[in-house]
Amino acid sequence: MKSVRITRYPINPAEVLALVGDREAGGAVLFVGTIRRRSEGKAVEGLTYEVYRGMAERRMREIEEEVRKKWPVMKIAMAHRYGQLKVGEVSVAVAVSCEHRAEAFEACRYAIDTIKRALPIWKKEHFKGGAQTWVKGTPIEA
Amino acid sequence: MKVLYFAGAQGLANLRSESLHLKEGSSVKDMAAEMLRLHPELRGIEPTIRYSVNFELAESNSLLHDGDEVAVLPPVAGG
Repeated sequence: MKSVRITRYPINPAEVLALVGDREAGGAVLFVGTIRRRSEGKAVEGLTYEVYRGMAERRMREIEEEVRKKWPVMKIAMAHRYGQLKVGEVSVAVAVSCEHRAEAFEACRYAIDTIKRALPIWKKEHFKGGAQTWVKGTPIEA
Repeated sequence: MKVLYFAGAQGLANLRSESLHLKEGSSVKDMAAEMLRLHPELRGIEPTIRYSVNFELAESNSLLHDGDEVAVLPPVAGG
């Protein structure tokens, strides 16, 4: 499995974590993003993620390079899903292994924050009752 | 060049992609002006749109060439 991946199939967080296994590492941090059942007080049935795939995969590899420049990372793995997801499903997973936990937490935090700001990915919320709306978002960052 | 529309921009323009023919030496800014002429529905969100050329974010003065893939990127919400 690739360490950086945009996929329409379900993400298994344990597999993403396994990708960063390293005998030199003292720890690994795993972040798992899931679909919340409420958004701004309204009941959500699910989300549809749209992605500009070619650009998103390229940006993910750049994020990996940025993380490696900033922290002494052993291994890093990222997966983001697209298509239709139901409440409770995993939309994104990021795993980072380092020699020490402090840098693993920081690197993982940076990676997920950057994924949210800098990847060409959009989500449409489907509310109970049938209403649908694109999540407002923020202009994509370099 | 090929222009791709995503998410809210796709809904407003009511299309996924189209071919635009601009004169040699045109920039992203020129392409955006042509886009708004063809799809005035996008005017409201244009200030929030960013553009990529061949998968890289582009400045408004970036020059475009035949065969480029330009994407119209409304505000993103990954994660």
